[in-house]
Order: sequence, then structure tokens, then C-alpha cells
Amino acid sequence: MKMFSVAHKTVFVVDHCPYMAESSRQQVECDVLTKSRAQGVIPLAPVSKSLWTCAVECSMEYCRILFDVYPKDKLVNYIVSDSEFHILNTWRREDQSTHELMSALAAVGPPNPREDPECCSILHGLVAAVEALCKITELQHEKRTALMDTAERVANRGRIICLTNAKSDTHVRMLEDCIQETISEQNKLAAGSDRLMAIQQCDLVLVHIYPQGEETLVSDRPKKEISPLLTSEVHSVRAGRHLASKLNILVQQHFDLASTTITNIPMKEEQHANTSANYDVELLHHRDAHIEFFKSGDLHMAGTSTRENGVKETMTLKWCTPRTNSIELHYCTGAYRISPTDVNSRPSSCLTNFLLNGRSVLLEQPRKSGSKVISHMLSSHGGEIFLHVLNSNRSTLEDPPSISEGCGGRVTDYRITDFGEFMRDNRLTPVAESSHDPSGKLPVERAKGQLERYTRYWPMIISQTTIFNMQAVVPLANLIVKELLTEEDLLTCQKTIYNLVDMERKSDPLPISTVGSRGKGPKRDEQYRIMWNELETLVKTHAGATDRHQRVLDCIIACRSKPPEEEERKKRGRKREDREDRTEKNGSKEAEDKSWQESERLKGLLEKEDQESEVIKDSPDSPEPLIKKPRLISEDVQPPERAKGPATLLSMWTNRITVANSRKHQEFFGRASSVNSKFELYQHLKEENGIDTHENGKAAR
Amino acid sequence: MPTVVLMDVSLSMTRPVSLDGIEEFQRKNLAVHGLNMLFEHMASNYRLEFTALMAFSSLWELLVPFTRDYNALQEALSNLEDYDKTCLELALQGVSSVVQQEWGNGCPCQVVLVTDGSLGIGKGSLRHSLQTLKHRGDDKKFPLPYPFPTKMFILCIANAEELQMTDAMENLEELLRLSGGDGQIFTVDGPLCMKSVQAMFGMLIDRAYSPFHAVLHCGNLSSDVQVFPRPEPVVVDEEVEPIPRAVSTEVDEVGTGATDELEEEPSASQMAGKSPNFCVLLHGSLKVEGMVALVQLGPEWFGMLYSQADSKKKSNLMMSLFEPGSDPLPWLGKISHLGPVSEAAENPYGEDDSKSPFPVQPQVKRSYAQNVTVWIKASGLQTDVQKILRNARKLPDKTQTFYKELNRLRKAALAFGFWELLKGVAELLERECTMLPDSAHPDAAFQLSHAAHQLKLASSGDSQYAAFDHNIVPMHTDFSS
Repeated sequence: MKMFSVAHKTVFVVDHCPYMAESSRQQVECDVLTKSRAQGVIPLAPVSKSLWTCAVECSMEYCRILFDVYPKDKLVNYIVSDSEFHILNTWRREDQSTHELMSALAAVGPPNPREDPECCSILHGLVAAVEALCKITELQHEKRTALMDTAERVANRGRIICLTNAKSDTHVRMLEDCIQETISEQNKLAAGSDRLMAIQQCDLVLVHIYPQGEETLVSDRPKKEISPLLTSEVHSVRAGRHLASKLNILVQQHFDLASTTITNIPMKEEQHANTSANYDVELLHHRDAHIEFFKSGDLHMAGTSTRENGVKETMTLKWCTPRTNSIELHYCTGAYRISPTDVNSRPSSCLTNFLLNGRSVLLEQPRKSGSKVISHMLSSHGGEIFLHVLNSNRSTLEDPPSISEGCGGRVTDYRITDFGEFMRDNRLTPVAESSHDPSGKLPVERAKGQLERYTRYWPMIISQTTIFNMQAVVPLANLIVKELLTEEDLLTCQKTIYNLVDMERKSDPLPISTVGSRGKGPKRDEQYRIMWNELETLVKTHAGATDRHQRVLDCIIACRSKPPEEEERKKRGRKREDREDRTEKNGSKEAEDKSWQESERLKGLLEKEDQESEVIKDSPDSPEPLIKKPRLISEDVQPPERAKGPATLLSMWTNRITVANSRKHQEFFGRASSVNSKFELYQHLKEENGIDTHENGKAAR
Repeated sequence: MPTVVLMDVSLSMTRPVSLDGIEEFQRKNLAVHGLNMLFEHMASNYRLEFTALMAFSSLWELLVPFTRDYNALQEALSNLEDYDKTCLELALQGVSSVVQQEWGNGCPCQVVLVTDGSLGIGKGSLRHSLQTLKHRGDDKKFPLPYPFPTKMFILCIANAEELQMTDAMENLEELLRLSGGDGQIFTVDGPLCMKSVQAMFGMLIDRAYSPFHAVLHCGNLSSDVQVFPRPEPVVVDEEVEPIPRAVSTEVDEVGTGATDELEEEPSASQMAGKSPNFCVLLHGSLKVEGMVALVQLGPEWFGMLYSQADSKKKSNLMMSLFEPGSDPLPWLGKISHLGPVSEAAENPYGEDDSKSPFPVQPQVKRSYAQNVTVWIKASGLQTDVQKILRNARKLPDKTQTFYKELNRLRKAALAFGFWELLKGVAELLERECTMLPDSAHPDAAFQLSHAAHQLKLASSGDSQYAAFDHNIVPMHTDFSS
């Protein structure tokens, strides 16, 4: 098993010997005189390109199409050969652009006709090409080092495209032999090097270019095997447009491309802005975009045409004028990059600019029957145009059941808005590959880490939470999930807590859910106890992160309300307590406080038990199970954690048990709410009143 | 993945099977029993898949077109009639046209062929079909391999020993190979009876119809999910030689992105919330916010979750799988390099959600997004020269455009070694200079002769003037005084 096909590496070897300076004898009239000016002016003599110019511009066109369709990992190395070889670029990714190559070609300039032909040969370039193929590319290196198990599967294959003017068939054979010999020599060398690899397969494509009006001295020959390592094919082509169409066909063959002609493109006439005519634009792209036609054999039916030498086929698709402002998500089965065949013609640039400006065009497949089938769509993403394949048949995904038919689908008070906010906070953004994080984690891992922190305590339904329905808690809830807290963050959290204490003193009502409970629900002080418990649960899941997180928890524990029977005492000691909270670090007062806390705690626990049994007895007004749940947590939340310092083993253990227990009880509520027949009936009524009302309990943010 | 059940109703299927001498069954009854079991399984575990039922003998008939109504399929099974001889090739042809008519040729399909292994005699028999495989014209090609990806399961109401007595097994293996090789031949283990046929269909269910259960995680929130259709392993074939990849059952939600830049990609699977409620919550918020969630399905394999509605009332959570790889959607960049917005100095979505960090622009613009110069066609060259001349006649108003176009032509001519063109255009500019009307601004003449001179210098190849990155700048003139 091998990785990397011959398409990974392409070496262009272009002949720069004196005879390439010869004229192609294809003349271009570039002085097109307008009628009004024609009188008395002698037009400029037509110019003609040299064989070299023809070779260079056609090879650049090959590269342009290649780089458009495969912006990476299909690499080109460009070599020019005269009395020596000139390597114009490397396999490195930043060297892979037509601009780089054009710049290097300008430095080389056209062949010097006065140079001694005896010293010049294409052979220098061909030898250099074999050497270049042995050089390892970045991708090959990455794969070899990244995957030990696949290291031996990294193959080294490549293609040499040689543009030259050969003397005869014998000359061609000599070139082939020479390449074969160089491969064996270089392979021996490569065996002992880290940066070199032996060539496992090399395809030579020799293009013999001769001027118009001359007879060729070299015959065409299809691909044949010279040795197990080398295949060779010969194309004998006239310079000019024949060469251009030959290289266009080759780039399609070499990179599995296919052609689509967009027909019926309406375009304003240049001369008469009020009229419009219809134009055609040909695009190249990966042939998988035509896979439906290839398979069904439709390619030979309507909509295809065979042109010129019979090798090139194009699929015709009809432009459908786009409806404005329609953002539709189409059922798309693939997207393929395109390259226009005639990139700077007016119809091409009109189409590509239209698409680059963010518009999409649906394309219709002409059918014999006359029925209209939209099979493709053109659209750009980030400055690149893609041909999208749309599914035009029936989809197996049709008519999916509603999510409300599934489990949990009948629950109606999900925190949809809150989760939307959660998603916005957890959105992703591209991070430069060069930016290094001290943790050594990839950005995506850090994003997952954030998700983990944000979801440590995240009740999914409104009736399961109090604190997330309170505007007053928002500042703390938003900050506590952060990886690190600043001193200012800590202060904000503490302020939030003091604010809650203040609310409690003023007996402000809390948005405790009364869903499913008859009567008024829990009493005010009970509501605050529930709220404090929940807040403590939230903060506890983060307390271990940093010292400041822990201090937020400490603050809650220090500030939270005392059990009801202590109310009197609390009132008396309020002032003192407040002072204490603000001067927590004060040692002498703390010691005094501790003993007070201890007795408080014991009383609290006793009191707790009393209350619990009382609640159960008191059936008509007893809070429904939903509210019971947080109270269970509170039993353990009271404990000796008021003391400063790191958590003890006991407190960690009890925390753990608490969390485990609370989960179990939470589940009990869920079960009760969805299965209990009485409950179900109530919800049904609610539903008739409209789903949205369930969010009413929540304070607007 | 849709299934076509191809049921053999030839006469040989009515051969009796004695079960301990107590009751007599036909092979057909056993087959129907097995298929009923399959349909019952699908009705409870695979109810979103489409299945069609075809019967064949010397002809074929579509008894039930593709449906999710498993009662209809079972009903049709109970009304099967007996026909004449087996002619598999025609029936396989029928499967091909039925599938393509319904789903086109891109949709993978499972074919469940239920037969007793007597594959006909003479013309039309499988043996005959396979023997003549290579001597056929284009119009009479054997229907396999199908144009759509196929999984072929052949269930023989016969045991292996029985099939090996003739060449039936060999022929069936050849058939499986022709279909593309993805599939299996099942035979009855031991004597034919209800139990052994049940066991055989049980093996088929395990192999091809086991429901795909997974867990969707989003940090500490999670939900058990079932995925329809089952995501199939994908064979990646890019620079890397084919490596099959399977979806891991632990699906990780990575984060969310804005919808407007995403299309549905390769294959889409539907998720139905099975147990807790996180899916419902996620779906609701994705729908309201118009967002999609990125999911990780395995190492370097990603997909997205979004709310899909086919009508106003019904919507569900859909998962689309991207092609495996580190950057499946080029305009998102490498997925591993998507980080939380909280790390960014400034919110890339803007404080009021008016911006987006997507699409990521490629480092190098594509040829159609830059002003490239191509002179393959004479018209390309003529247009560029005319552009320069047009601007030359409007000097000095069009000085900037004139030099911009001139430099573009100069660069291309230098790269293509087309010095003759530089000389030609220089001559044209000199001619324009002589033809300037009396009313022309004096600057026009200066600029034209300056430009012509510079082009001539460049065409000499002198490295000082012919450098690619060098630009001809307008001549500095001052006519204000």
C-alpha cells in the first residue's frame, strides 16, 4: 500500500536553447484600428510569438488551472534548460503560485539566439528534473514523520512534462534512456538520505513543439512502459493554439478534471447597455462533479458535445436567473473548485465576479424530455468559487419525524434562549496556526475545555433552576465559568453575592417555579434557601480551579442565609456579621466567628431534620418533589466548610456524595414529570395555552 | 440506506422441507418467515429506512415500492404466489432500474436476495449469464456492478453442503464479486427449519441492520442518540492511499458557528433523540438562533448538527458528515485551529453579531479573483493593447489607469519572453504621440514618449529595466507655472 500518486509532483522542463527563440509563425494582429481612425494610418505589423513564448504561456496556463482547482498538495517544480539547468522554484508551498513562476521566468528571459547550440541541451533540465523528483516535499515529510505506521506507505511518484523541440524519434529515445539511467543513479543516492526518496514511478510526457507550416520530425506515441519505474508518451504539436489545447487536455487528464459549459448567461452588451445577449462560459473542475452523468451514461446524450480532436468533452448546463434574497440550504452532495478555461474573457470575468460578490447561480440540466432538473449550483466561499452538486432525486431523508415525537420531546420549558446565549459564548473562530498557546493545547481542544467548564452545572429546563432565572445572578454566573478570574472578577462575584443578601433582607420575591405545585409554593425564606443551595452547587463545581474561584465559594458560604429559627439572632448580629464578611481575613474575629458558626451549624442540622419531617407531614401545602431536590443538597452543604483553608478530605468526599445523590434525585423529578399521569394532564393543558408561556417565570435579560 | 428485497418465487422455492416428520413446510414459507423477522426488526429499530419488495422468477415484479410501511411489506409477503423458473439476470436488471428511478445513482443501496440456490437452467440461468459475461455487446451488459454503491446480501434457503453439490455456490460468489464485493452470502447452518432460518436472518440483521447508537457530548451535557441512516465507513482516497474510516460512537460537539456560510455536505444522517433531553434543547436553540454545531466523529472527521424542517410543523436534528480530513470546508480553515471566541482580543462576531470571522480567505487568490494576463487567444492580447491605447488617448486624465495597464502588459511580456510585443507597443505609443490633436494637453506627449522609451528599454533585456517587479512610473511633469 502506497500513499501519493504521480499527481503529487509535476516537474516542468522547458527548453531554453537557441532554436526555441524561433518564431512560431503564428501572427497576432494587435493593432486593431477603429474605423474612424483608420484613415492615413499605417497599422503596426503583426507580432508573432516565439516557440519559447508559446511554451511558457501554455505551461503557465496549465499551472493556473492546476492551482485554481488544487490550491495545495499538487505541486509544480519549474526547470528551464539551456547550457545548464535553472530551477525556478522549489516544492515548498509558498513557491506554488503562477506569480512566483512568472517572476522567475522574467529573470530568465527569452532564449539567446546567439548562444552556441552545441553547449545547449534539454538533457541538463531532464537530469535536474529527476533529481527534483527525489527531493521530499513538505507533505511527504509530514506524513513520514507524523504517522509511523504509515511511514513506509509514503510513496514517491511524479510526472515530468518536457516542452522541447526534438530532432527526431531517435533523439526522443535518447532522452528517455537518459532519464531512465538518471533515475537508477539518483535512486541509489536517495537510499542514503533523509531529505531524498527513491522514485517509484515516473511518467514522462514529452511535448515536441514545432512552428506552424513545418512538418514534424517526431511522431506521436501513446504511453508506453520504458521500465518498471518509467513510462513515456510523446505528443507532437504545432506551436500556438494547438499547443494550448493540448496542454489544456493534459491538465484535465493528469488531474481528473472535467469540463462544464454554462450556457445562456445573460449579459449586458458592451456597446449597447440596454440590450443583453446570451453567452457561454466553460469551467474546469474535478470530474466527480459529473459523477451522476458518467454513471448513468447521460454524458453521451443531450447536453454534451465533443470538440476539436474528439478528446475533450464538455457538459452543458443552463443558467437559471437567481431569485434575489433567497438563502436556501440545498441538499448538496459535493462541492468542487472551478477554474474558467478562458479566464480573462469578458463573459468569464462577468460570471466569476458575479459569484465572488456573493451571488449563487442554480444550473439546470438539459433533458430530452423537456423536464427541468436543477443539478448543480455555483457559489463562492471566501473568494473561491465552487461547483456544488445538488441531489436531484428523491432523498432518503425525506419526511423525518418531529423531534417532539422523541424522548424529551414533550418537555416544554427548555432553556432555549439561555442555551442560545451559551452557544454564542462558545462560538468558534479561526486562530492563526502560528499562535502558540502556553498550555500546548490546540485551539479546538481549548474550545472543548471551555465547553466542559461552561456545562459543569447547567440545568436544562426552567423549572429546574432558580438562579439562572434571576437577573441578579447573571454577573456571577457569567464569570465563575472562566478559567481564570481577575481581582475585578472576584469583586464582581462578591458584589453579586452581597446583592443577593440584600435582596433576602428585603424579602424580594424569587422566580421559584411553581409548575406542578398547587398553592403558593414554598415560603420566602425557603425560596432563598433553595436559591443559595443552587448557587453554591454552581460555584462548587468551579471552586477547585483557582484560589479566586474558591474565594467566591467562601463568600457564598459566609453570606448565605441562616436557618429560620436563627432569624432573630441573625437580626441582632446582622451588623456584626456584615462587618465580618468584609474583613474576612481578620484573625481574631474569625476565631470568635468560628465557634459561633459551629454551634450555628449544629443547630442548623437539627433544625433541618425537623423541617424535613414537617414538610412531609404537611401534605396539602407541601412543596412538590421538584423543590425537594435542592433541599437534599442543602443537608450536606451546611457543613464545616466555613473554616478557611483548603478543602478537607471529608468535605471533598461529602461533596462527591452530594453531587452523586443530587443527580439521582434530579432524575426522579424528570421521571415524575414525564410519566406521572396527573402531571401529564396538567402539561397538556399548558400546551394548549401556548408553549412560550413557560418562559414567563424568567426575568428578561 | 434503502433496501431492495429480491424474493425468489420460482417453483423450486415450493420444494417441501420435512421438519421431524411432523409438519411440512415449503422453502418459501421459511423464507417468508425469515423476511418477516427482518421486517419486524426494521419496524422497531430501523423505521426510517426505505424498503422495497420485488418478486422474481422468469419475470420480475415490484410488489411494494420503497416504503417505511413495514405492515405493507409483510402483507405482500403473505400473498406471494408461485411462478415458473429462476432467471436472476433479468431480476437484477429490474433492481437497477427500480433503484435508479427512485434514488438516482448516487445513493448507496442494499440488495437482499432470498433464494433457494437453484439458479435456473439453460438460457437465463445465472450460470449461463456468467459464462457469457465477456461476449456481450454494450447494449446487453450484465447489470452488475450497479452504478450506485451496492451492498449485496444473498440469503440461501439451503445449507452450504447442498449448494456445493452443484456450482451454485461458485456462481453466487462470482455474483457477489461482480457487485463490488461489499456484502455476504448467508447459508442455513444445519438442517432446514424455522430455527436455523431465523438464525441466518439474525446474522444478516447483526451484519447490516444493527441500529447505530451513539452518545452526543457537549461538555458535561450529553444525550444518547440513534442515527439514521447508519453512517457507513468511508474510504478516503486523496493523496493518501485508501484508508477506511468509521464513525466513532462517541460524538463530540466542538462548538458552534454561524449557519450562513455552510452547505449540507456529503452525506446527511438523521438523529432521533432517544433518551435524555439534551438533543431537544440543542435542536431548539439551533433552530431559534439559526446556528449549526460542529461535531467530531472520530480523529480528523467532523460533521455538523442543525435543525432541519421539511414542513413548518416538523423539524428534527440533522447531522451532516463532512469528508474526513483536517479541513473539510476550506472556508472554515483547519478545524483543529478553531478556538473559542473568548480568547480573541475582540469578538470576531462583533458586539451586535454583525460580523463573522468566516469565510477564511485563502492566502493566494485564485486566478479569476486576480487580474491575470493570458494571451493564449489573440483576442486576449488585442484587448490588453487596446485598453492601453484607449487610456493613452485620454491622458493626462487617465494617467493612473494608463500606467497600471501598461505595467500589467509589461510584466506578462517579460515573463513570457515576448520582447517583440514590448517593441510593438512602444511603436504604437510613439505613433499615438504623433497623432495627438492640437487641443491635447502637453503632458500627454511627454507621458507617451516616456512610456514608449521605458518599454523599449525593458525589451532590451537589460536587467536594470527588465526586472519583473519594476514598474514604469509616470514621468514627473509640472505644467502649473
